Amino acid sequence: MSTSSLRSFEYLESLPGTVFKRLYRQPSTALAIFRRMLPHLAKSFVMALLYHSHPLPVADLEQWVRPDSRRERDQALSLLERLHILSIVLNPNSPRAYALTNPFKQSLRLALTGGGDHQSFGVPCDTPDKHSVDVDFLDDFARAQWEGILHYMVGSTGIGMQGGEEVSQGVKKLLELGGLVEIKGRRVEITQAGFSFLLQEINAQVWTLLIFYLENAESVSDMRRFRTLDPFRSQANISVCQLNMDPVDVLSFLFMLGSLELGQDYSLTTLTPTQVKMLDDLRDFGIVYQRKSSSRRFYPTRLATTLTSDAGALRTVSAGFDNALRAGGDSKGFIVIETNYRIYAYTSSPLQIAVLALFSRLSTRYPNMVAGRISRESIRRAIQTGITSDQIISYLGTHAHPQMRKNVPVLPPTVVDQIRLWQIEGERMKATGGFLFKDFVTAEEYDNLANYADEVGVLVWRSDKRRMFFVTRHEQIAAYLRNRPKKLT
Amino acid sequence: MPPKRKASTTGSRSERASKRSTPAPSTPMSVDSSDEYSEQGEPPDESEAENIDKAINKFSLESYNRQQHQATDSASQLFGSSDFAYLSLKPDHDNRPLWIDPVKGRIILESFSPLAAYAQDFLTTIAEPLSRPTFLHEYALTPHSLYAAVSVGLLPSDIINVLDRLSKVPLPENIREFITKCTASYGKVKLVLKHNRYFVESTDPEMLQRLLKDEVVGKTRIEGSDEITKEKAPQMGGLVIPGTKNAAGVKQQPDQAQAQRTDQDAEGPAKEDDIFLTLREEDDDEDETDQVHSFEIVSDDVEVVQKRCLELEFPMLEEYDFRNDEVNPNLEIDLKPSAQIRHYQEKSLSKMFGNGRAKSGIIVLPCGAGKTLVGITAACTIKKGIVVLCTSSMSVVQWRNEFIKWSNINPDDIAIFTSDHKEKFSRSTGIIVSTYSMVTQTKGRSHDSQKMMDFLQGREWGLMILDEVHVVPASIFRKVTHSIATHSKLGLTATLLREDDKIRDLNFLIGPKLYEANWMELAEQGHIAKVQCAEVWCPMTTEFYQEYLRESSRKRSLLYIMNPRKFQACQFLIDYHEKRGDKVIVFSDNVYALEKYALKLHKAYIYGGTPQAERLRILENFQHNDLVNTVFLSKIGDTSLDLPEATCLIQISSHYGSRRQEAQRLGRILRAKRRNDEGFNAFFYSLVSKDTQEMYYSSKRQAFLVDQGYAFKVITHLQGIENLPNLAYASPQERTELLQEVMLQNETSADVEKIDGDLFGERSGGPGSKRFAKKGARRTAGMLSDLSGGQDMAYIEYNKSRNKELKGKSQNPFMKKMFRDQAKRRAQNTNLD
Amino acid sequence: MPKAVKGVLVQCDPSIKAIILKIDALDHDFIVEDLDDQTLVVKESKLVELKQRLEDELSNTQQMPEESGSE
Repeated sequence: MSTSSLRSFEYLESLPGTVFKRLYRQPSTALAIFRRMLPHLAKSFVMALLYHSHPLPVADLEQWVRPDSRRERDQALSLLERLHILSIVLNPNSPRAYALTNPFKQSLRLALTGGGDHQSFGVPCDTPDKHSVDVDFLDDFARAQWEGILHYMVGSTGIGMQGGEEVSQGVKKLLELGGLVEIKGRRVEITQAGFSFLLQEINAQVWTLLIFYLENAESVSDMRRFRTLDPFRSQANISVCQLNMDPVDVLSFLFMLGSLELGQDYSLTTLTPTQVKMLDDLRDFGIVYQRKSSSRRFYPTRLATTLTSDAGALRTVSAGFDNALRAGGDSKGFIVIETNYRIYAYTSSPLQIAVLALFSRLSTRYPNMVAGRISRESIRRAIQTGITSDQIISYLGTHAHPQMRKNVPVLPPTVVDQIRLWQIEGERMKATGGFLFKDFVTAEEYDNLANYADEVGVLVWRSDKRRMFFVTRHEQIAAYLRNRPKKLT
Repeated sequence: MPPKRKASTTGSRSERASKRSTPAPSTPMSVDSSDEYSEQGEPPDESEAENIDKAINKFSLESYNRQQHQATDSASQLFGSSDFAYLSLKPDHDNRPLWIDPVKGRIILESFSPLAAYAQDFLTTIAEPLSRPTFLHEYALTPHSLYAAVSVGLLPSDIINVLDRLSKVPLPENIREFITKCTASYGKVKLVLKHNRYFVESTDPEMLQRLLKDEVVGKTRIEGSDEITKEKAPQMGGLVIPGTKNAAGVKQQPDQAQAQRTDQDAEGPAKEDDIFLTLREEDDDEDETDQVHSFEIVSDDVEVVQKRCLELEFPMLEEYDFRNDEVNPNLEIDLKPSAQIRHYQEKSLSKMFGNGRAKSGIIVLPCGAGKTLVGITAACTIKKGIVVLCTSSMSVVQWRNEFIKWSNINPDDIAIFTSDHKEKFSRSTGIIVSTYSMVTQTKGRSHDSQKMMDFLQGREWGLMILDEVHVVPASIFRKVTHSIATHSKLGLTATLLREDDKIRDLNFLIGPKLYEANWMELAEQGHIAKVQCAEVWCPMTTEFYQEYLRESSRKRSLLYIMNPRKFQACQFLIDYHEKRGDKVIVFSDNVYALEKYALKLHKAYIYGGTPQAERLRILENFQHNDLVNTVFLSKIGDTSLDLPEATCLIQISSHYGSRRQEAQRLGRILRAKRRNDEGFNAFFYSLVSKDTQEMYYSSKRQAFLVDQGYAFKVITHLQGIENLPNLAYASPQERTELLQEVMLQNETSADVEKIDGDLFGERSGGPGSKRFAKKGARRTAGMLSDLSGGQDMAYIEYNKSRNKELKGKSQNPFMKKMFRDQAKRRAQNTNLD
Repeated sequence: MPKAVKGVLVQCDPSIKAIILKIDALDHDFIVEDLDDQTLVVKESKLVELKQRLEDELSNTQQMPEESGSE
């Protein structure tokens, strides 16, 4: 499973069963989860049970699976239960049996065979758009919006690149809430999580932001109230919260978006108020396009339609999307890194270049390629801002040029090792603040206190020989000493 | 009758000879075209070089830059003036392998492009290779590299056209201008020695008219000869370089067949594009135009004309038309049929003999790739008197042996001139092999030696082969070329790198770079071994490190070399590789360390002070005796020894970051015969003490190799080292003893070995080495430092007897004898102090 | 009664410790307590300076930045 689905999965798992019940009312949700979240074995189980009228005895199901694959089976079943798709039916006088839950079962059936009036898959507009737009436009739009966000984040790294000024307050707030940037007075600084984010693939990035969005649905709604106010007065009183957003609505909408068709405009009529409000935010992200807030229709962009694609399709679609994001690149991988630490990247996107500049020293730029070097300085500079060597290595690996991929391993091991070594170089010394306890008269006294410190988790170092130890905090020790029955010394 | 060139007396010969070198610009190590020529403190001797350099440097690329005001985006400020995004890509840019940087003249090549092989050939000829790792290679276009290109016969229009064709963007205008302007002056005029007469030759008759009208040059024209004669341009036609695939009667060896196939493969895709094919052929042809024009000049006035042409900004190229040299007797020499010339050797020779004449210049091939054979083949092509100059007497013997092995020369026709041998050949012409030091000795020549020098200086030679050109100081070269008259010169080297940046002198004194091979390519093709390079980080022990932090610079090096953990690492690696059946050479520039290590680990060692016979014995044992699989060598191993192949190299100390040295040492294992075995790898370890200056120097040294495509792995821990039986210095006590002993050493022990008769010696050795006048290096127990008291004296004594003990314990009779000899010698030398 | 001393626990490898000792040798202003060959306690107020000095000392043992080819 890709990173992005992992994150959304984690989020989903944290939701209570009641939420699932509501979610599964929508066939698009059921389908999306089926496609995206389930490994093959789980999918097989679901399909097998989809049209069963009676529960299937557990023993029967277990027979389908080879004995040596018991672990996969258990994992699949457990997953299905956690997602409230499968339940165990306990009837007296019958063996234990599995059944698909409702409304999941009904919804999935509807999704597969069509029918029903759920409008869960969006309602295309029946009137033509006077200002219709095409797929290219949508791609451009999505790219501009998304890159704006990334630019804003890169700009906050302080490397001196402009861009990202047009990002909405809502988005900025979201990035802050999600811990990707820190607002310090007037300055915006990227965090380590922010760096990870920058180095992720596009699909993972989109989901990351959406999860933040979900988690902060309420705060987000408040944001909108303050859209026109000073963004730095984030402590402003939120006395009345009128725009309450229902996470279920939000999720459903996201799953629905994943099933929409690129290039098609859809009507707002079937959307809940929550979902209508979402459109503004989604437009900021570049996930949907609306000519203006009052439009009666919206277009999903590629960012939307690929939200719930399965991994295989995702790869090619992502590649296609990456193309849209990165003018001129014709394959996903574009970076060459040589054994002499020179780096050549086939890109013309200022954004990609900015990301590279985070940890390398770029020297020359051609129409379709930039050249530079990775050096101790450039890596140390990156480390100091919070990027880790693993992140850099992973980024290089993910975006390795097809020529590089012919090698095993893909990245030159000497370079990989050296990047790690450069990081370690800066970490030659570990410093922990606290207190040194010494001058113990008896070994007993020392042992007693040291063990106590260990128990409360403040002990960092000890030397029984020298009867000294070091702790991060002294309050508990002091308290312990005070409360001990007084000994005659 | 045209005046003959007389074999004149030494006096005027030297005078004349001093100006007779091929005027050629340098190919500087740092290839920025704005390389400043420093003019401070240069002796007047160097005025020629100055002038040449000035002439060449006039055409710096920067003068052709125009300010581009282009649309910028947010990324532009990262690149400043190196933002070339405004250039427009050609529609089929994917098929073209090059990008060209208009400001710096840098060229980037996609080595995976179908046209890469062809492009590489071309680029090596017109530009300096900067780095050639796996995928993308970089070259630099400089006035000097263009000069070299023209010297081998490329036309400026060809250069421009091919560059444009290969480039992803249209050739920037300023580059075009730059090439045109640079090459307009180069190669326009040649000085040709033909039928023992000197001609000023050009493809452009107007050029010659100009020269004739010049008052200085005009006067040198021979009275009574035709103003300007016209004839066909010189062609390869009929000249067969022995041993190459053109040579008749050479059996097709698999190597050659493969080389042919490789060539053909490279040509394959090019055939798809006829234009390229045509261009390729044209590359090989010299002087595309059919006619050359020339006028004859008085031979005594040659230097005058050269100088004048320089002033006029038309530096002359020098060529030796040996086929039409009727005065100098022919040498009977030819390559034996068993001698196989590999394709890269052939390529390099074709640059030298491309138009049927001999051009002077330098050929660069990795160590172990067969430079000697290239020299021998050149000699077999020219077939006139040959002088070969080497760096040591050992190499002299080697060269002679190689000549006899690969050619059919009569052993009487090849003579040696060293301190031990002063021979001449018996017939009218032949080969003399000598050392640089022998021929440049200024004082104190013996009678015999002086006679030899007279002999050398009293005649004209067809070819002078200069071995290991990169190590020889320019001053030596100057003396050589002043004193010995030769019509062409071939410099052979593994790298043109010099830390002191005097490459330009070499190019001036010998000639431009004719050819440079690609290390990785040669490794891929099995001509040199593949090597795994690693740097082993040895943490210093606490005591050693504390002393290191305290000590002054010179002793510091001793401390990081004698680091016990380094000892252990060395021991471990030797053990590991011996078990694998490898032959291991351990290098140490520092003799004190060499002895300590070798004795401690019970291995044989050779340094400057080792007598010849013993050296030979040790090396023979190393080669043939299964019990002797490791040998320790000092700097003497860098050039002076005929080393049998080794498959593993360990460096425990080396000299201040010399890239050349690192490359050279690597060469010792590149020729490993097993290199063509499936999956064979040779190993090269550099042991460095962590957190010391040694780390700094180490990476500096590796820079050259890294650019050739080698990757140095860092090993921070040797798996299993703790379990090595008899691990040296395993106990703190032993380590303390070692530290004390090291601390007692005189500062001079920390120096790098200076080897007599070895040209390295003068230039190397770090700070203060000049003070070290004694032959070789001696370990002397010097002043006691802070440590005092009889106790420490006892330590010294104790150690001595321990050594003796160690020797006694050795079972191997050979080793025993060796230790005895060495102890004897050490005792003798200590007594002398 | 045992004593508690405020400070910063520094843990490192022996070479680094040796350098720290050297830095301290000048004014003895840094080290509060030398614990073992890989550990010591330094003054909190001196930590930043110590790190800086350590980097300075190490800088001339670092590997050459980028010398491959030329720039």
